[in-house]
Amino acid sequence: MPSVTKRRERGPRARSGTTYRRHDSAVAVAFLSPAMIGFTVFAVLPVLGGLALGLFDWDLFSTPRYVGARNFVRLFSDPTMWQSLFVTLQFLLLGVIPTVLLGFMLAVLVNSKLPAVPALRLLFFVPMIASSAVTALVWAMLYNERQGFVNQALGVIGVDGPNWLSDTFWALPALVIVMIWSALPLVIILYLAGLQRVPDDIYAAASLDGAGPWRQLWSMTWPSVWPTTALVLALQAIGFLSGSFEMALLLTDGGPLGTTQSLALYAYRVAFNDLNFGYASALSMFQLVVFAAIVGIVQGVRRTLRKGGL
Amino acid sequence: MLLRYLAIAVIGLLMAVPLLFMLSGSLKSAAEVSQFPPSLLPSVPIWQNFADAWEFLTPRVVVNSFIFAFGVILVQLAISIPAAFALAKIPFRWTGLILGVLIIPHFVPGNLSLIPLYVITNELGLLNTYAGMILPIGGQCAFAVLLFRQFFVTLPKGLTDAARLDGAGWFRVLTSITMPLAGPAMATYCSVTFLTAWNMYIWPLLAAPDPAHRVLNVALAPLASGSNVQISPAVALAGAVIAMLPVLLVFVVSQKWYVKGVAGTGID
Repeated sequence: MPSVTKRRERGPRARSGTTYRRHDSAVAVAFLSPAMIGFTVFAVLPVLGGLALGLFDWDLFSTPRYVGARNFVRLFSDPTMWQSLFVTLQFLLLGVIPTVLLGFMLAVLVNSKLPAVPALRLLFFVPMIASSAVTALVWAMLYNERQGFVNQALGVIGVDGPNWLSDTFWALPALVIVMIWSALPLVIILYLAGLQRVPDDIYAAASLDGAGPWRQLWSMTWPSVWPTTALVLALQAIGFLSGSFEMALLLTDGGPLGTTQSLALYAYRVAFNDLNFGYASALSMFQLVVFAAIVGIVQGVRRTLRKGGL
Repeated sequence: MLLRYLAIAVIGLLMAVPLLFMLSGSLKSAAEVSQFPPSLLPSVPIWQNFADAWEFLTPRVVVNSFIFAFGVILVQLAISIPAAFALAKIPFRWTGLILGVLIIPHFVPGNLSLIPLYVITNELGLLNTYAGMILPIGGQCAFAVLLFRQFFVTLPKGLTDAARLDGAGWFRVLTSITMPLAGPAMATYCSVTFLTAWNMYIWPLLAAPDPAHRVLNVALAPLASGSNVQISPAVALAGAVIAMLPVLLVFVVSQKWYVKGVAGTGID
């Protein structure tokens, strides 16, 4: 039997079980290798490669030409980039917060052990199983200018609805509604999981203190699911950042006049329509920087609010 | 309480309206699809819509969708289960580090790696092949590894220790002790990944643009933008129903596990 080679000390409370046998490590490496190779080539390398590609001029066929920071400099003088950045921020602003708040309220609503509720709950999960293509196909019909359900329903109350997906003002909100609809099930599921960890007795105390249900919802339940909210916010920000691209590609192709073309979609088109993989990668990286900046700002605001006693 | 039931039922139906519209519309005539107020059920069910949609989509496309989804599942299972087992049961110095790294992709926007992923697949000469569609997605195994690892960790340590003392190698322990108990994790993984892979659109479109490798969502996408005017809306809806039927069945059968799997993402 191979002998114990090393014992890792973890301070005074070191667990005696943390010993690493050479044989075990060899087996672990063998078991882990295929997964780690796949993960490295198809999950890690693309992110690092994206950064590197941004430094080149490349159409995928000829030899890549090193251009230094030129692609990154070009970003700032590109009006389409600024428009796409603005569109991206609109998607985030209009989409993320309503999704999180609605998802939270709906989760509280369906978080009940009353009979038949678990079955009814499935209705709330339905949007999740529709693919983006199916979702787009169905909503395009609902949004149709003359024959669509939305405008015909608006017609009943005397409103002349716009041609939703071709209107420079309404196309983006119309897309956001579709995306909120698709995103809600995941948010509800995550909040349902979070709500299971909230102890019931805090409500009993609150009821005694005379807090009504609305008050309880926002001053007891909402703060106690904060860890879930943090996760949901992060996931939804990512979702609207990159999900906005797929739905816009399907429903409006970024139009009309670029009003629904987010950074992600712009990068996609620069790569696959213009075959400019270097600039497209620079755009993607810029999107990551924007995302990191937003996360930083949100964190900063939260910290300031906390210090201010809110 | 009655009010709550009412609210749940009404909002639930509202959420499901677009898909109920799809289901009922798939059996209507083209005129009836856009009729207002919409009829709840088709006046005369037109099954011909499905025959037309099937002809438009072609069996080849349906088969491709199955090849893609099952391919991704098989590749991920093959590489993820041993890895998850190692991370859960075998004492190894770098376990903590690897777990930390595996979490990262969860918080990177998916479109970010799309372009480099395409470049890598192209460099490997795999564009327009099933391997090129399947391997890049199969290789992104973080979810599978973390999910199975989370499950393996909960299995009592005594079980594997006893087998080890009896002289079983780690591989034996994995195949004859751990795997037979992994049913619930397997159900969760398969339902989540089947839905994810089946519903993918952008990647199969990029990796295999030629018609021979087209999957359902790629075939349906042109109908969404209305660029294909020869297809009546009712037939398009029938096509959407065909594309959704497998995931709907999987979801109905496995929703308990599916919800668990999705709720587990990222929380660990």
